[in-house]
Amino acid sequence: MKANGNTIEFKFERTIPASPEELFDGWLDPKIPGTTWNAAEKFVLDPKVDGLFFWHLRGTSHYGRFTEVQRPGRIQHTWVSPNTLGKESTVTVTFTKQGDKTLMTLVHSGLPDHELARSHENGWNYFLGIYQEQFGNGSRKDYRWEEAHPPAKGR
Amino acid sequence: MDSLADVLTAVSHPSRRAIIRRLAESGPARFTDIAEPFDLALNAITKHLKLLERAGLISRERRGREVLISFRGEPLREVAQWVHEYETFWNERLDTFEKYFKDKRRKERKR
Repeated sequence: MKANGNTIEFKFERTIPASPEELFDGWLDPKIPGTTWNAAEKFVLDPKVDGLFFWHLRGTSHYGRFTEVQRPGRIQHTWVSPNTLGKESTVTVTFTKQGDKTLMTLVHSGLPDHELARSHENGWNYFLGIYQEQFGNGSRKDYRWEEAHPPAKGR
Repeated sequence: MDSLADVLTAVSHPSRRAIIRRLAESGPARFTDIAEPFDLALNAITKHLKLLERAGLISRERRGREVLISFRGEPLREVAQWVHEYETFWNERLDTFEKYFKDKRRKERKR
């Protein structure tokens, strides 16, 4: 994959033991570990349609605008960072009830496909994460190259 | 099949990842030592090792009467170049988020 103006999309799924309402509220609560704004050195968050967010961590700033906020099923916002080359990418998070658990899906789409967004260091960390996952009990699915790297639209 | 696909095929199976992990952590080993922790037929282990060898992730070296199998990390570096920063970012975030709610439910059940 090379920088040629095309975009790529990533999809992540987790099955979490909580209700969609708990997860929806939790995902928008910067105090909950793992949320987008948690651990930021500075953040601004206004989670309503056309509300804006900003967060800053280790020298990198991220900006976005909420486009859908539908409790408890769906949150969508734009995402602009140095890795998007100033372009608006889109993050869509959905929560679907599955018995006493919830299927959480996060899709990050419209990302410019370019070399700046890749790094050896991150790649190694990711592989270490796979090893850790193998012996842990998280709901991350086994890594599938084809799923993680779908063909970009328009190619 | 190109070398990148060989490496991805090789790391796509949990048994093969376990073999790589053992060799990476404990150093070169004999075939019987590699096979020992697995509840698998020896010819299944042989097939796993062939796929790892084809991907360049292991090498075999004869030392006296024994053949030692070693881990080779270089092909994984090639794969790592193709991993996008956001794959790492979102996986880490979602794992942390999931763990928070798992721990919360565990605590609630203990009450």
